[in-house]
Amino acid sequence: MINRLTSLPTLKIDTAQKLAFMYKGKKYYGVKGDTIVSALFANGVRIFGRSLKYHRPRGLYSLDGECSNTCMEVDGIPNVRCENTLLKDGMVIKEQNVKGSAENDMMSFLDKMDWLMPAGFYYNVMHKPAKIWPIAMKQIRKAAGLGKISPDYKMPGKFDEIFLNTDVCVIGGGPSGMMAALSAAKKGLRVIIMESRPWLGGFYEYRSKEYKNSQTLHDRAKQLANEVTTQDNIRVFTHTSAVGTYNNNLVTGFQIGKKEDVFDERYIEIRAKSVVAAAGCIERPLIFDNNERPGVMQIGCALRMAKTYGQLPGKNAVFSIGHDLGLEAALELHDLGLTIACIVDIREDGQDPQLLEKIQAKKIPLFKGWVAKKALGAKRVKGVDLSSVDGQISKTFPCDLIVASAGMTPVTGHITVALGTLKYDTYTGFFLPDQMPDKMHAAGRILGLNDSFSIEASGTLAGLKAAFDCENGSIKEIGDAKKALENLPGPVRGTKLVTAPVKGRKSFICFDEDATIKNIKQAIEKGFDVPELIKRFTATGLGPGQGGIPGHNLPLYVAKYQALSDVSIRPTNVRPPLVPTLISTYAGVNHKMFKITPMDEMQKKDNGIFRNIGVWQRARYFSNDLLCKKEIENVRNNVGMLDGSTLGKFRIHGPDALKALQRVFVSDMSRVKEGRVKYSAMCNDDGCVIDDGVVVKQGENDYYFTTSSGRAGQTVEWIRYHTRYDGWDFALVNLTDSMGVINLSGPNARKVFEKIIDIDVSNEAFGYSEYKEFKIADTIPTRVMRLGFVGELSYELHVPSSYMKSVWLMLKEAGKEFNIQNFGVEAQNVLRMEKCHIILGQESEQRTNLLDVGLGFLWDRKKAEAKTVGAVALSQAENDQTRLKLVGFKMENNGRAPRDGALIVDEKVRGYIATARDSFSLNEAVGMALVEAPLSKIGTRLEIYEDECGDDRIYGKVVTMPFYDPEGQRMKM
Amino acid sequence: MKDIQRISPVVFKSTPSKVEKRDNWDVVMEYSGEGDGPYLVDLSHRPRFDLQSSKLAAIKPFGLKLPEIPGNCIFKKGILANRMNGIQVSVLNLDGQKDSSMPDEAEYTDVTDSTICVALIGKNIFSICEKLTALDFMDLQKKAPFLFQGPFSHVPCQIVTLSKDSDNSGLILTCSRGYGRDMINSILHAGEEFGLRPAGESRFTNWIKA
Repeated sequence: MINRLTSLPTLKIDTAQKLAFMYKGKKYYGVKGDTIVSALFANGVRIFGRSLKYHRPRGLYSLDGECSNTCMEVDGIPNVRCENTLLKDGMVIKEQNVKGSAENDMMSFLDKMDWLMPAGFYYNVMHKPAKIWPIAMKQIRKAAGLGKISPDYKMPGKFDEIFLNTDVCVIGGGPSGMMAALSAAKKGLRVIIMESRPWLGGFYEYRSKEYKNSQTLHDRAKQLANEVTTQDNIRVFTHTSAVGTYNNNLVTGFQIGKKEDVFDERYIEIRAKSVVAAAGCIERPLIFDNNERPGVMQIGCALRMAKTYGQLPGKNAVFSIGHDLGLEAALELHDLGLTIACIVDIREDGQDPQLLEKIQAKKIPLFKGWVAKKALGAKRVKGVDLSSVDGQISKTFPCDLIVASAGMTPVTGHITVALGTLKYDTYTGFFLPDQMPDKMHAAGRILGLNDSFSIEASGTLAGLKAAFDCENGSIKEIGDAKKALENLPGPVRGTKLVTAPVKGRKSFICFDEDATIKNIKQAIEKGFDVPELIKRFTATGLGPGQGGIPGHNLPLYVAKYQALSDVSIRPTNVRPPLVPTLISTYAGVNHKMFKITPMDEMQKKDNGIFRNIGVWQRARYFSNDLLCKKEIENVRNNVGMLDGSTLGKFRIHGPDALKALQRVFVSDMSRVKEGRVKYSAMCNDDGCVIDDGVVVKQGENDYYFTTSSGRAGQTVEWIRYHTRYDGWDFALVNLTDSMGVINLSGPNARKVFEKIIDIDVSNEAFGYSEYKEFKIADTIPTRVMRLGFVGELSYELHVPSSYMKSVWLMLKEAGKEFNIQNFGVEAQNVLRMEKCHIILGQESEQRTNLLDVGLGFLWDRKKAEAKTVGAVALSQAENDQTRLKLVGFKMENNGRAPRDGALIVDEKVRGYIATARDSFSLNEAVGMALVEAPLSKIGTRLEIYEDECGDDRIYGKVVTMPFYDPEGQRMKM
Repeated sequence: MKDIQRISPVVFKSTPSKVEKRDNWDVVMEYSGEGDGPYLVDLSHRPRFDLQSSKLAAIKPFGLKLPEIPGNCIFKKGILANRMNGIQVSVLNLDGQKDSSMPDEAEYTDVTDSTICVALIGKNIFSICEKLTALDFMDLQKKAPFLFQGPFSHVPCQIVTLSKDSDNSGLILTCSRGYGRDMINSILHAGEEFGLRPAGESRFTNWIKA
């Protein structure tokens, strides 16, 4: 383990606190504050994995997850971005995408086979003869892909979610972001800062350059962070990456939890009135031969390894840079003990004179107009070939570290994802924000600024603009802030160089996908002349780094290679998530939200087997016999209880209540008589039947009606929608959850029922299709309907939900002498099917109209008061012989029932099975099917095709409906 | 015959230490180990009414002048009235001692059994809420009491913020009774890190008085 630098004020590690971890089966130690990579680096690990296609060794290059170089398997989770994942005690870390080890990978020979794999090779080769491709495809897939995961892998960890509202959301906790937050917060607004690193400060945080009056940049970062965190109306979310920005300033992100947090990762969704994009810059990679060899790293990476994690990134370094930050880093690292063999700067001029003086004073060789051309060394950097930018002169230096960067490039994903546009700026060499999305403002280095005061002033200005969006600010203030910014240094000139003077066979523009400059040329030569096409053909930018490395280099190179007179080409679209995260994080806590009936507990005690049906959890069976033989026979021969509480239940009242009912129900609802139940149906404008239920009149202009369970949630809106222009005066109250329903059915139902009530329920006093209201035990208000959905004597009790348990227990006690039993939804399904009572959604689909299912008798064609929804379409469909018809059928030769949904066929598909079951009541298989009209005649033979039946068919015959008790005597007894 | 009992859709795992029988409800006045807050209190037994009329301006439930703007609420003498839309108001009788019977007019419907009704009171309650909903309880423009009709843990709810005082905040939440079990689970789960515990009705009554 290397010795750490321990006295730097910028360190984020605590060397006194050791953390143990396992790597390749051996125990190692890191320290608190280490990332996985910094801990491995301290233990001498330099190769972290192998590349996707060529299995080239990959090392530490960036520290913010811009590429997949340091993706590893951690605690069984593949593709963990180890350069910005904090080390935890006990972690188990493995290399991935290696055959053997990262150090000695048996697949590394592929690096020499690149000539066999030009851009888009899988579109061109191994396709002829055609039978080769499936074999080749399997081998390619085996060799490709990063990490392995089992399909039934269960993600460990705690995941959470949080939904925030704020006035201003600032993306980026650097100096401009913090200044923006402070200026908005001072207006009394609520502000949220999202910072992807575990601390605030941005690019100030690790630098010792003077800010002003001997105050360093890192001290200034601390000062600003202190101001921000002590402001009550600023909420700071560190270790939080913004991953998406959407319309109306919806910002999404995720936060990595600390040890004391209740989550490992949590999804964050922020609704803001205004957004400030202040994500700063990343480095634009310098492209040269072997530019991803372990030992090549970016300036910020090298500097932060020392200043944040206390480790010198190498012993003997060559810097190949194009920005003053490179000079500054070289000086700082030199002072910390790194030998600098030389610095080569792409720029001929324009360097900060003070930095040049210091470099000269320290006798560090500096070559202006030079660039790294090739990293030497097979697995690690052992030297570097340098050349003048024009490629005329070369030099070679031995070294173990190449600090390389072409310059800076702004992080614009948050702007473009929100449909802001970028424009190439020839002075800075940046793609700068052009059209900003509504109520989004850019600040800081993203604008090309480099001077600290300018960066902060731009933050202040953006904060004021955001405050103005929140109707809390003035034009004058904004004008003043703008003037202040204009009086400070503007953007700095940037470098234009994309590649060193190389052919590019091993010069990588995208590390994740092993895409080289040569590949880009190949794509362009094939006619893919814009970055979006090249991206797809070469896979450039499609890896886990989300385009961080190829980013703006791709359009710049494409423009250069095609000698475009201006860079009108745009960077490729980036999409959420801008930073990769776990699907588990998006899933959040996943609270299961289902409705249960008031009888849930009681039915569970009675061994009910529950299923999720729509929004409800319902008892579908009461034994492991999924055919429900006993449940069915008990209802047919004795008495059973069904929990029907999920039925939609509504009160409609007011002077125009009847008009509203007339509008949506197909029947003449003026014929609903007090004390009687009326069954009817609702259609949509196409005449397709969408709902059915019963209606009772409970007073003057006051009705109670039911709907199917599935439609209950939409009924109020449905009726309001279809009466929206009428100005009718009526009120609708959804009582679905208010009333529980018990369906007491079977020949002994009356004998049980009369034991718990005081009224006469004989057939004469309470006949079929009648309705009564009374109180059970003088206390429980109850509505009872005599219905016959299952084809037996039935009472449907509607009881306030809080009293349901009491009534249920009363019925159970009363039914004890008859051995009353529960029956579930499946038994009910069979019972009603035997009676040919339909369930909408089972015997219908969205194209099925009222007439198709034989409910045309419900439709009153003479309603005068108001038009009926669907009536026009029904009139047109009435004589249409091409429509499907609902028929009953029995299976031939006492055969089994076909599966629901099976097809009715001859040489074509002629219909389908709606419901079919082996009927215990009839001792044969019966069912209902929707078939073309010519097949609906009684006696027609139906050929039935089931999934995976091959050439085998089963056959049924159309019969008259209903199958059970055709006279309907049992439900009227 | 079994005792007639009204059952609340809200079930807490905590042990009741004081229970009061009221109108066939077993009302838990206090649970053991209620902690220091925040608290979740079951008020599902408190009467609730739906009032719908095209002439709301002329109606004064329990003597209250109804708020005119949807989203506005009035809370006086234990009666909470929430203006839902142009023709609809929800009325909650939050005073346990008051006559709970529904006014006789046809415009009223008793919806006590339609919903669960819980109070979330104490510190950090809005931190709990933001784990479950995107509704903005801390909107500076909104003065308590105010009504939200929107999703809470993905379920349509009515939520009335009664107080936004940092340590003494309070809100009332109602949602379809059927969601009771899962809604309570999700609130308690979200509130775990803040020390949220179930509390008896007394805790709410005292909070209202304070």
